[in-house]
Amino acid sequence: MASSRLVVEGLEAGYGAVRVLHGVSINVEHGESVVLLGSNGNGKSTLIKCIMGIVPPTAGSIHFERDGERINLAGKSPQEIVGLGISLVPEGRRLFPALSVEENLLLGAYRAAARARLAENLAFVFEVFPALRERRRQLAGSMSGGEQQMVAVARALMTEPRILLIDEPSVGLAPILVIRMIAKIKELKERRNLTVLMAEQNFNQAIKIADRGYIIVHGEIAFEGRSAADLKNNDLVKQYYLGL
Amino acid sequence: MISADLFSNAVVSGILLGGFYAAVAVGLAITFGQLDIVNIAHPAFVIVGSYTAWIINTRTGLDPVLAGILVTPIFFLVGVAIYRIYYAAFERTGQESLSGLAFFFGLMFIIEVTLILVYGVDYRLVNAAYIGESIDIGFVGIPYRMLVPFIVAVLLTGGVYLYLSRTFTGRAILAVAQDRLALQLMGADPVRVKQFAFGLAIATTAIAGSLLIIIGPVEPSVGRLYIGRVFAIVVLAGMGSIPGMVVAALIIGVVETMVGTFMGPSWSPAVSFGVLLLTLAVRPAGLFGRQ
Repeated sequence: MASSRLVVEGLEAGYGAVRVLHGVSINVEHGESVVLLGSNGNGKSTLIKCIMGIVPPTAGSIHFERDGERINLAGKSPQEIVGLGISLVPEGRRLFPALSVEENLLLGAYRAAARARLAENLAFVFEVFPALRERRRQLAGSMSGGEQQMVAVARALMTEPRILLIDEPSVGLAPILVIRMIAKIKELKERRNLTVLMAEQNFNQAIKIADRGYIIVHGEIAFEGRSAADLKNNDLVKQYYLGL
Repeated sequence: MISADLFSNAVVSGILLGGFYAAVAVGLAITFGQLDIVNIAHPAFVIVGSYTAWIINTRTGLDPVLAGILVTPIFFLVGVAIYRIYYAAFERTGQESLSGLAFFFGLMFIIEVTLILVYGVDYRLVNAAYIGESIDIGFVGIPYRMLVPFIVAVLLTGGVYLYLSRTFTGRAILAVAQDRLALQLMGADPVRVKQFAFGLAIATTAIAGSLLIIIGPVEPSVGRLYIGRVFAIVVLAGMGSIPGMVVAALIIGVVETMVGTFMGPSWSPAVSFGVLLLTLAVRPAGLFGRQ
């Protein structure tokens, strides 16, 4: 039975003298959607970057449990972590602007495990995002923000991930597009039984896909919500998001 | 007056020459166009390719083009080694722009001086049955020493184009300079991708060099004449576009031959620099620049 689990314990990280994360512990269980909530500058992206090996943590541990095997992610490069089955839809999308949509998607299938399922995955993402099939010859850099976000999500799916990390999918998108994007992520999660960890500051949208979540304030987990309802009824949420 | 046969001869030889220029520039379209590595020593490697073809041809009588193809794996490995040094010394610490340029400039002189010390400054030439022969179509004469390099050049650039656009590694080469981190997020190691691409670019110089010495005799400093040409071609093409590079090479080839025919050969070298300046002034993105 395939199983994937992500466990972060006591993580500390920062940039130079600036400490951003102070002992953060989170876990993501198989098949779960976990949201990481918090406004700008509280350390959501840094936590995601630590998991992907982009920012080195100064203390704490990150483990990926895959089919009973416990893999320490410390010191691994982003490409090695992707190779293990953890993929990221990065903040700001980071497409290859001078390549076509199709070339971007095919690059997603670079690693061996993804190449083996290339045709299936490509058909799947074109089915979920029909607009991308129509525009597959268009240069990614010439697309609108909403379309680029679709390419970014589709490209990450092409890597055949066991765990999908999504960093701030709503940034730079019009509210209606945010709603659609979240609906798509929910659809993908249900159809693919994906394990998702999403960092997001748009509480009302993020909560729609959350099985549970964490609220991160000033680099610390300020609240752990065991369900979407739990998150919704929390005082911190009222204070930070709803202005009550 | 411009006569019709002089004109059509100039056009045909210009196209043949331009095709050959594409073979010389294709490697630079990868290193400079895709990887942002200013490999000013690229033409020097082409000269090494010529000398390699000459050595094999004079010792064994093997066709120069086959000799060039035969040694591509060695050139590939040399390219990989050079990229390793370049990466460790400059790119990893972010000093590639100026120090990297100086590195390749130095490499160019080392190659040239080594060739002079070992083989002297005499012109070297190769032997093949077709060199010296030509076919006449109407009043246009096509010498085989131009036609064979043209055909090989078309196959070489076509092969590189297909490789870059149809394979996983090829697409990763196209992507690596656009967003290094995003490529890592696809599970690819950017250093290995760049090292492979650089090896590939140097491998093409083995074949381009064999073509150069079929066209005419070669001595160590001939490479310098090609620095302006190949950079002009890559910039005119629009950094890294292979189809654009072929069109740019044909334009430079035809214009150079025209200028040489009607204004005198001493003007030919001015063409590439003229085109380079004009491109940067009028259309800096180049003919086929994406974005």
